Amino acid sequence: MTLRTSIIMAACAAALAAGPAWAQFKPTKPVEIVVHTGPGGGADVLARFMTQLIEKENLAPVRFQVNNRDGGGGLRAMAYVAEKKGDTHTIAIFTGNWLTNPLVRAEAKFTLKDMQPVARLVLEPAVVAVKADAPFKTMKDFIEAAKKTPGTLKQSGGSQTSRDNVVRQLLMKSTGANWAYISFPGGGERIAALLGGHVNMMVIEPQEAGEHIKAGNMRVIAQVAEKRLAPYPNVPTLKEAGYEIPNVPQVRGVVMPSGVAPDVVAYYEDLFQRMVKTPTWRKYLEDQQFEDGFQKSVELGKFFDTFTNQMREILKEAGTPVVR
Amino acid sequence: MDVLANLGHGFIVALEPLNLFWCFAGVFLGTVVGVMPGLGPAATIAMLLPLTFKMPPTSALIMLAGIYYGAKYGGSTTAILLNVPGESASVVTCLDGYQMARKGRAGAALGIAAIASFIAGTVGVVALMLVAPPLAKFGLAFSSPEYFALMVLGLAMVVLLAGESLVKALLAMLVGLWIAGMGIDLFSDASRFTFGNSEMLDGVDFVIVAIGVFALSEVFANMEQREESTMLPVPKGLRNLLPTMAELKACRFAFLNGSVVGFIIGVLPGAGSTIASFISYGLEKAVSKHPEKFGTGVPEGVAAPEGANNSETGGALVPLLTLGIPGSGTTAILLAAFVLWGLKPGPLMIQDNPELFWGLVASMYVGNVMLLVLNLPLIPLFAQILKLPSYLLYPIILGISLVGVYTVSSSLFDCYMLAAFGLLGYLMRRLDYPSAPLILGLVLGDAMERALRQSLMMSQGDLGILVSRPISATMLVLAVLLLIMPLFRKFNSWRVRAIEENG
Repeated sequence: MTLRTSIIMAACAAALAAGPAWAQFKPTKPVEIVVHTGPGGGADVLARFMTQLIEKENLAPVRFQVNNRDGGGGLRAMAYVAEKKGDTHTIAIFTGNWLTNPLVRAEAKFTLKDMQPVARLVLEPAVVAVKADAPFKTMKDFIEAAKKTPGTLKQSGGSQTSRDNVVRQLLMKSTGANWAYISFPGGGERIAALLGGHVNMMVIEPQEAGEHIKAGNMRVIAQVAEKRLAPYPNVPTLKEAGYEIPNVPQVRGVVMPSGVAPDVVAYYEDLFQRMVKTPTWRKYLEDQQFEDGFQKSVELGKFFDTFTNQMREILKEAGTPVVR
Repeated sequence: MDVLANLGHGFIVALEPLNLFWCFAGVFLGTVVGVMPGLGPAATIAMLLPLTFKMPPTSALIMLAGIYYGAKYGGSTTAILLNVPGESASVVTCLDGYQMARKGRAGAALGIAAIASFIAGTVGVVALMLVAPPLAKFGLAFSSPEYFALMVLGLAMVVLLAGESLVKALLAMLVGLWIAGMGIDLFSDASRFTFGNSEMLDGVDFVIVAIGVFALSEVFANMEQREESTMLPVPKGLRNLLPTMAELKACRFAFLNGSVVGFIIGVLPGAGSTIASFISYGLEKAVSKHPEKFGTGVPEGVAAPEGANNSETGGALVPLLTLGIPGSGTTAILLAAFVLWGLKPGPLMIQDNPELFWGLVASMYVGNVMLLVLNLPLIPLFAQILKLPSYLLYPIILGISLVGVYTVSSSLFDCYMLAAFGLLGYLMRRLDYPSAPLILGLVLGDAMERALRQSLMMSQGDLGILVSRPISATMLVLAVLLLIMPLFRKFNSWRVRAIEENG
């Protein structure tokens, strides 16, 4: 084999590896993944896992680097991405916050409408947990107790716009029960408050709760998921337990600055489609007990609209001032 | 003895050549990161996380934990030499450490910081090993009312941090509390004092204020002197660069105090090493025979906070390893690392992975020795920095401060804020307002407000919750005692004078 034929063959192989013929764009320098949390935050851990996976599976010709733009409840990262209009080597991990925060913050200069949807990746379900020695065996026990003594039962959770509180608002509205919500900034403090018996209930990610349940410290009384999660075959979802409230998943995926050519979007869309098919990714979803939420760019754009409208209604009903 | 057998097994793991190497790599990197202001251990661990996927989890944990406690050794270096707190917990070290350096005892201060770190770090590991599970339960007994009382107790330390005038100290503290209130309110989601700026939504970063008020104001104050100011004295000879026996003896109680206070506060998931160092400094001053000398460069003033800061690491690992509950940014990322390695952090982790826990504990003994050996020879080297003439030294401080703040957030806005706080610090200095109470208010304000409001939500608005719980009531009583102590002293001196006049 001559040198020339081998070069041609290598070029052909590279072209094949790059995917379908319409994907003309290819990154030529390291791609920046913007995340809105500091090191160790949910989006940061996901992004770092992705960079490693992309490198290990050789999914892209360049390296991906995480850029932590934490601050302002995600608004700083959003502004950073939106202002990079036309940049083909920047992508960002969005979460539900990116959709809800601009609704309640007058300071927000940009919304997800100012960015280009690329792909939705995961939906994170949750479970409703109580301390193992609590008298509540089912969601109904808790709701009935809350009705009897309004305002005395307590739930620990994150900020007012977090999923925990949205689930509470929806449950209170549909049942007429009433219980207090106590915000803790760190996930650890929320769990500590529950295990120490200072609050009665929390909405928690299944992976966080898993070991506490195994050790007999916590009990799951309901699931915030479309269908029952594998580790809890006997615990009903909220719908199955008779609470008809919209499912509120924590969502994560990828967006990029607007003003890029369609082939650029197509390239990244294809990259993440290949990524979510790898066994490593499937195992990651399983370990973390995430649901596969893969959606392509166009569907994701529609999802943004419906989710934003849904959240606007929920926040309004919860009495949170909505600014846009 | 079960513990000894386990520990022996742990040492077998920790002394494997590969693990020794990773331990050294960790503590070395940690020292470097600690010396540089800005880049903290959390960010470093996050950056190295992808590298650890190919390592066995025990080696990876040994290395990452090495970065965590190694950074705490290094953090005091710039605080002592340049009045630039390398990380938040080193702020208290600035108070006496920098004054020691100005008196030509920079090497001694660095040496005491290293020795205090070593002793307290080791005590922290011993405690982690012996009492982790029962202590984790104690940590859970703490909730918002107890945290509020702890913060009040911390704030009462203002009495001890005040210089000439308690009123000025209280004013400075109130400004600190006000700054702490800026940003998004967690409970109502309202923005406070942001002036429509999205950069202000997270409030003001404590590191910016600390570097501004300590380091920048120092630079400004030195620019005033028109004549060529003299260099700081650096004694010659290795012996003069190390702490003397008298200095070490003065620190006896501080070593113990720092170790115990740091560990206990470390166990509480909602407290943190900055509070630990403040409280241990306050305690040291409260029991000291010469409290008036604090702030002028006493070795105990360096030993206590540095000890607390390092022993806090052992404490913070208690809730992390026994319950899977992280108490700080760094432990949060360690938790994320566990998950990515496929371990399941939580109440069963030690039971399921004994070699991991005991290997880590043993490696921390080894790592603390390595840090001492690594740090002591560096002291003479670092102390030479002070030999620089002031036209070089102060611009270097300015540069390090700016770079440090910029690396935290890569935001120019923060650099402007740094300048503003530098000016504030300069004004305070000119008007004789102490800056430590400002920092104290800022550190505690946020957590204190949060704890108070959480408590009131728990009790449906009844303030009684703060005094009806024994732990919180005890701490509140202590705080009140601390606050009225100066009154008694004053009363006493009046009485003495009255008796003298009558007699």
